[in-house]
Amino acid sequence: MENKKPLSPHIQIYRWHISSLVSITHRITGIINIIGITFVCIWVSLLLLGENNYGIINFYLNSFFGKFLIIGLTWSFSFQILSESRHLIMDLGFGFDPKTTNITGLFVIIGSIIFTIIFYLIGKNFI
Amino acid sequence: MVQINLPENSKLKKGNYFKDKTGSKNLRKVNIYRWDPSTGDSPRIDTYEVDMDNCPSKVLDILNKIKNEIDPTIAYRRSCAHGVCGSCAMNMDGKNGLACTTSHSEISGDIDIFPLPHLKVKKDLIGDLDGLYKQYQSIEPWLKSNSKSESTEIIQSKKDREKLDGAYECIMCACCSTSCPSYWWNGDKYLGPAVLLQAYRWIIDSRDEDRKERLKKVADELKLYRCHTIMNCTSACPKGLNPAKAIAEIKKMLVKA
Repeated sequence: MENKKPLSPHIQIYRWHISSLVSITHRITGIINIIGITFVCIWVSLLLLGENNYGIINFYLNSFFGKFLIIGLTWSFSFQILSESRHLIMDLGFGFDPKTTNITGLFVIIGSIIFTIIFYLIGKNFI
Repeated sequence: MVQINLPENSKLKKGNYFKDKTGSKNLRKVNIYRWDPSTGDSPRIDTYEVDMDNCPSKVLDILNKIKNEIDPTIAYRRSCAHGVCGSCAMNMDGKNGLACTTSHSEISGDIDIFPLPHLKVKKDLIGDLDGLYKQYQSIEPWLKSNSKSESTEIIQSKKDREKLDGAYECIMCACCSTSCPSYWWNGDKYLGPAVLLQAYRWIIDSRDEDRKERLKKVADELKLYRCHTIMNCTSACPKGLNPAKAIAEIKKMLVKA
């Protein structure tokens, strides 16, 4: 009888709002960043092994997919940094008002895009 | 464990369609989660056409109207109808709340009504809250005072009493706990926002002499620190309380203790 009882629907029906979206994206970007940092480390160590390696990686990173990867990682790092600062402020006990959490959440989402653009422009020597 | 998909026996089916018989022009479709324990069937979504010209303003009024006039087999909890008892907590339009204080005019399109999320369903909109009540019991939600309470009145200053504002108003409707993804995945160990708000209420009560013990008991990786400030609890609370803030305050106290 106990096992027959169904489980009521949860994540399938619950409506998303800014704060929950930022929270789940924080986790996903966290995982992406770990993979990204490993990737950057391998890149740097390969540099020590000579010019040829640098050439190969440079070739792949300059492809369309490579550029997508770099810009994606830039966004993911920017998001993580901003979202982490938001969590730090919350851990100090501030910003728990529902309105404030939505504003700071929106700030994180928009800020991460702006950061990505700024980093891209710096990388391209526009700034 | 995180299990995104529903188990096999909980998958939803399309249910019956109750066409309007009043001939009203102001109709609204109401989709309601149904499960009957006496049959072995999986849960279904029944759709009702409700005449809104003769229906008061709250979602609970719709449910009453359906039960009285269309389909008497539907089961749901309700009592005071004024947002005081917390019986009619359910998930409406993807958000937890009390059916008696949620206006149906706030919901656009069809009205979807589900039981509180991630609970074992007893029947239709009634979820099994036994686990939550057991957790509530585990924090010992009563005044503990060893010294003088037997003989003398324990006096509380106005300032100390004010600390309880925002914590004592909780009606234990479970809207917050069942809205929390952390509670969905770790509900057996994580206490959840409702119980932690109550834990906080007793920790900060100036009359209570068991503060240290209470803090020690709640300081646990799984019991307390599963809160990741997703904020579903605060946005769901029908009484406008802030369980997430209370949990953060407990964490702060533990750092200082």
